[in-house]
Amino acid sequence: MEKILYAIPDLCTGCNRCVYACSAIKEGKFYPSRSRIHISNFSLNGYSVPNICFQCPKPDCLTACPCKAISQQENGIVQVDTEKCDGCGECVAACPYGAIDQDDKGLAYKCDYCGGDPNCVTECTPGAIVYQAEDKELRRLRGLQMKQRLTSKKAEDKRIQVGRQIMRLARD
Amino acid sequence: MNLYAGKILIIDLSKKSVSIQPLRKEWLKKYWGSWGLALRYYYDSVTADVDPLSQENTMVIMTGPFCGTLVPTSSRFCLVSKSPYTGTVFETNTGGSFGPELKFAGYDGIIIKGRAESLQYLRIADDTVSLEDAQDFAGKGIFETESLLREAAGLPEGKTLSIGPAGENLIGYACVGTESYRQMGRGGAGAIFGSKNLKGIICRGTGSIQVADMEGFREKAFQYKNDNVLTDANLWASTDGTPVLVDVINEMGILPTRNFTYGTFDDRAGINTTAVKAAKKGDRACVSCPLACGKFTHINGIEMEGPEYETLCLAGSNCEVNELEKVSHFNRLCDDLGLDTMSCGNTVALAMDLAEKGRHDFGLRFGKTKDYLEIVTEIATLSTTRGKELAMGVKRLAEKYKSHDLTTQIKGLEMAAYEPRGNYGMGLSYATSERGACHMRAFTGFSEDVFNLEKQAREVVKSQNFNCIKWSTGLCDFWGSVTHEILADLLSCGLDETVTPSELALAGERIWNLSRIFNLQAGFTIDDDSLPEKIMNQPLEKGPHAGNVFKEEDFKTALKLFYQLRGWDEKGVPSQEKLAQLGLDDLYHF
Repeated sequence: MEKILYAIPDLCTGCNRCVYACSAIKEGKFYPSRSRIHISNFSLNGYSVPNICFQCPKPDCLTACPCKAISQQENGIVQVDTEKCDGCGECVAACPYGAIDQDDKGLAYKCDYCGGDPNCVTECTPGAIVYQAEDKELRRLRGLQMKQRLTSKKAEDKRIQVGRQIMRLARD
Repeated sequence: MNLYAGKILIIDLSKKSVSIQPLRKEWLKKYWGSWGLALRYYYDSVTADVDPLSQENTMVIMTGPFCGTLVPTSSRFCLVSKSPYTGTVFETNTGGSFGPELKFAGYDGIIIKGRAESLQYLRIADDTVSLEDAQDFAGKGIFETESLLREAAGLPEGKTLSIGPAGENLIGYACVGTESYRQMGRGGAGAIFGSKNLKGIICRGTGSIQVADMEGFREKAFQYKNDNVLTDANLWASTDGTPVLVDVINEMGILPTRNFTYGTFDDRAGINTTAVKAAKKGDRACVSCPLACGKFTHINGIEMEGPEYETLCLAGSNCEVNELEKVSHFNRLCDDLGLDTMSCGNTVALAMDLAEKGRHDFGLRFGKTKDYLEIVTEIATLSTTRGKELAMGVKRLAEKYKSHDLTTQIKGLEMAAYEPRGNYGMGLSYATSERGACHMRAFTGFSEDVFNLEKQAREVVKSQNFNCIKWSTGLCDFWGSVTHEILADLLSCGLDETVTPSELALAGERIWNLSRIFNLQAGFTIDDDSLPEKIMNQPLEKGPHAGNVFKEEDFKTALKLFYQLRGWDEKGVPSQEKLAQLGLDDLYHF
């Protein structure tokens, strides 16, 4: 991939503008529960963790999909073909980060980098979400985040737990 | 429905009932949301003589039309009721994420009436709404309660409003807390929750908010954010947050110090913005806000968001306490136990002053931190004699010790952190606020000619009216450069209707007048639009305004001008002509 989406939780203020912008673009409404990016907010600790799709080199969601509805493009972006999706939810259970979810009809949806111009980045004033060429320090941070893997049926539960683990890493 | 969820949740705690009403659309164009709409609903739900802590009283929680959208700083939402502390109607608002969550659950607001037989919490998960047992949470602080509510309700992403022991103990200046360090602070909303046996509310909303033209709306919100919010006029909130005011207000000579005795605090280096920045770990924002004025700090094991300016002054300089660690700890205890730091700081300062004057010794001294932290817990839990006395607040404590000369309150609410003897507009603003001595109605701190009575009266009226509509659309004070024109532009685009700046200006004036009507009906008169004796008779010490008072005759002149500008008679009663102009004549007749 030429550019990668990175989350830098230390800079996240918890404003959720990325979430609102994402849902407005993808769903045409302000619809945070349907956003492709989420923020886990730990107010007592003064810390917020963006939850983004890492576009994994070996995507668990893709491997788990029995309908071959999930594919990885040449540029590394992992995409869902909703025509092929049968709503089984295997991908949601397989993703260790809670980064893929299902809509009311059961169809899977996830981040696709908005075709190379992610609006979450445009809305992020503090610079907690950046879209740029690979960088050594950011790669290290991303690697640490990707090690926080969880199993659960619900994407929401995984997001919160992964967020909590990332917060703990940052504070240790 | 565009910009609104379209429904109001009605909770009757006595009947244990939950019902849903469609939003009163005929009120939207007159009151818009949040403060205005809550006030209109509240006015409809009680009579003005209602006892605030009785089951007959109601409380209205309301969001605004921009809440849950990308309009910058738009997540604030409010509570309107009759204050158990002042007996006036009052509005108290906060940011965070509860307001948007409520809208995503499908409700613009909640009306709560009655009283539960035992401690309960309200659980809202989209269209599943229920009252649940909260007896196990009795006496718990807000921090723990927030996490217990998420666990008990099975809503890990739920947003909460809750009270601590101070609210359960019906302390007049108990607040309602949300997201750990944010509060509906002033006027005793926590005590109303307590009187209703309501420990808290947890809400999870997974729905959406629509706007008429999403692309146009997003574009406008983005442009205003870049060109009107993230600009020199507002960026102080981002770089420093409110602690910057410690030095700024000191420089102006209106930093309340030693129970409103001095206008400056020489020893402020320990509690100014430099000190807060040195302890800062990160910036924190309410939902939708690109400014992030919250400063998360760590100092000697005390971790919290804040302290904010009002606390740094009223619990800091006003008590002559100059250690950030102590002020932070005081603030954190208040946040957890559920006390308003502004009223609490003022009350502790009065207790210190009573000792100084030899009238009563509470063990508290100006500039000393012995018992300064212990007293917070004693107040909230009513566990000691002195705790019970300080829990009464400044007005009643001063009455008990016959110390009217030392009080710093108006209508029973303690003054905010701006000395009126060095800024007459702030004095007039405090005296005419519907909820007592509050700085969130009209702020003249940065105006010119601060002793020009006519200019100040004009500015106070203009600022009150504008803030009425600004708070009613749910925006934050710190989008300081927003205008009627910007509000009208965003509303027009979001609703696909023509909304004019002038109708918004009129709505602001209408909201202010409706508060006035309620207070008149509740028995308040011109005599309550007053200043503390101290401000009128005792010269301010230290700083550029040393020697100043706000003389009673000058204050009366300013008040008379204020009434005239408002179209009120010499006793502060709105004329029938004014009420007719505002469309309020059907609500009030003399």
